[in-house]
Amino acid sequence: MVQVDAGTLFFAAIFTNNILLTNFLGLCPFLAISREVRSGLGLGAAVVFVMTCTAVLNYLVYYYILVPLNLVHFRFILFIVIIAAFVQLVEMTIERYFPALYYVLGIFLPLITVNCAILGASLFLIIREYTLLQSLAYGAGSGIGWMIAIIAVGAIREKVQKSAKLPRGLEGPALTLIITGVMALAFIAFSGMIQIQ
Amino acid sequence: MKKRLFSIFYMFLLTLFFTSLVSAVKLYNEDRIAMNQEVKLLRIVLHVLGIAVQESASPQTVSQVFSERVKQIEVKQRPLYIGYAENGETITGYAFPVGGQGFWGPISGLAAVDPSATRLLGVAFFKHSETPGLGARITEAWFTKQFEGLSLDPIAGEQKIFYLKAAGTGQAANELDAVTGATGTSRAVEAFLNRELDHFLKGIWPEVKKKR
Amino acid sequence: MAKALKGSQIFVRGLWDDNPVLRQVLGICSTLAVTNLLVNTLVMNAGLIFTVTMSCLTVSLLRKYTPMRIRMMAQTLIIASYVIIVDICIAAYLPDISEALGPYVGLIITNCIVMGRCEAFARNNPPWPSFLDGLAMSLGYSAVLLTIALIREPLGFGTVLGFRIMPAGFTPWTIMIMAPGAFFTLGLLAWFLKAYFPQVTEANKER
Repeated sequence: MVQVDAGTLFFAAIFTNNILLTNFLGLCPFLAISREVRSGLGLGAAVVFVMTCTAVLNYLVYYYILVPLNLVHFRFILFIVIIAAFVQLVEMTIERYFPALYYVLGIFLPLITVNCAILGASLFLIIREYTLLQSLAYGAGSGIGWMIAIIAVGAIREKVQKSAKLPRGLEGPALTLIITGVMALAFIAFSGMIQIQ
Repeated sequence: MKKRLFSIFYMFLLTLFFTSLVSAVKLYNEDRIAMNQEVKLLRIVLHVLGIAVQESASPQTVSQVFSERVKQIEVKQRPLYIGYAENGETITGYAFPVGGQGFWGPISGLAAVDPSATRLLGVAFFKHSETPGLGARITEAWFTKQFEGLSLDPIAGEQKIFYLKAAGTGQAANELDAVTGATGTSRAVEAFLNRELDHFLKGIWPEVKKKR
Repeated sequence: MAKALKGSQIFVRGLWDDNPVLRQVLGICSTLAVTNLLVNTLVMNAGLIFTVTMSCLTVSLLRKYTPMRIRMMAQTLIIASYVIIVDICIAAYLPDISEALGPYVGLIITNCIVMGRCEAFARNNPPWPSFLDGLAMSLGYSAVLLTIALIREPLGFGTVLGFRIMPAGFTPWTIMIMAPGAFFTLGLLAWFLKAYFPQVTEANKER
């Protein structure tokens, strides 16, 4: 069992062990979307919601269904199915009640399903043997961390694209990756902050 | 309606086929995976006690060496591995599990002490969730070798048996190199390993001495 | 519908012209994390190649029977099953590496490339071309990641596949082992290739 309290884990998931900047997860939509802060915010919020809920759901399914039945090797299939179903649910809800948001997010909603970060968060919390409360904190923290990363990089990209004259070939993925690298470097500075003892 | 039914039926068939395939692969490999785990533990116990076993040795060989040279008992509900010399009589060391919270998740390992519990014979870590290439390096030889021969008598005035300092800066004999770039993991290991060694010396060792 | 291509054309296209990583920097999530060690990268790539080729082959074989509406679910099921098989095999035959790779093998499921090829090619094409396409794409992907690993491991550890290749006095660049190193390496690689081989990165815009 892990002794760290949920609050510390929550902060650690956002800053010191950011699921994108430290564990490289969730890069695909990140590279495609982060052009604008606004879409990053919308997508980020959706990801936070999905990640938190699926972290809890997958925890419950794993410990109350898979483990007792000795079917843990099916966790990959079951987790992704739960995530896909949940995203479908969210998509239907947004379409019905927030049509404007639905229009903005467009195709990116179903893409949340294949966002490695969401499946990754569930897999990590199993490996690290978190409790239910810790899983909740970790899921929420990871989602928020991802959102912060995507917004921050989006903001920098917006500024850079507007004002700077870029060398040949740098535009696009290359620039985003280098910016992300610098961000990852900056976030490493946070690692002294959290004492998980 | 017919289309819907077919879709459901199709998915059902597909799921059945693939889950069977996956289950078949799992069953075929299950024993091997379980044995890998078991042999791994045996190997680590032998390694930590300083009993040599070849890298290429088969699982049967490892099991055999283990049963000849190690006796497993329980002290205060925790396993204790007693290592014997080749003559089967002289005790060469005691190994016991150590574990605690790492930076990312629980870390499990083994530590071994010499027959008088005054020096460490060695440590090894076999289960962790630390970052590959960083915290995960605690399993590497250069790191664990530092613990071999470490004195278990804490120096007067200090509280810990050993300290992990930035690589190359340690001065006293009990200041070992931490893993560069893995401050969190290093701090965690320093904390729980000291605690476990302390627990062994104060809680388990008196029991063992009584039994001898 | 793309016109039928010869096998060799499909292969070359996947490797170079249409290299998924270089064109879009897609699908790197799962493997980038382990590129700090060459051996881990090799194993991950082997797993990915197996998954992509087998998934594409299976999806293609079933393409005439799979109802349109559930094809995503079916694809996900197929991909996830192959990934589990890979995971079990690595755990059984390479236990140490299995521990080092952790959850990243499972994340092959969400790798955009696997789903992407199934969706874009395999479900509309016969088995053999689909197999080749999957193989070429995953090989192209692996080549890029191996390049990154060949930069990160020597600079970060001073070794390649565990063998020391840097001179003894070399101070390892620890940053290469950590996350920023991977981002910078891939970013610089993408920049270099985009600047000097623009046809690789800009071709087939209608895709």
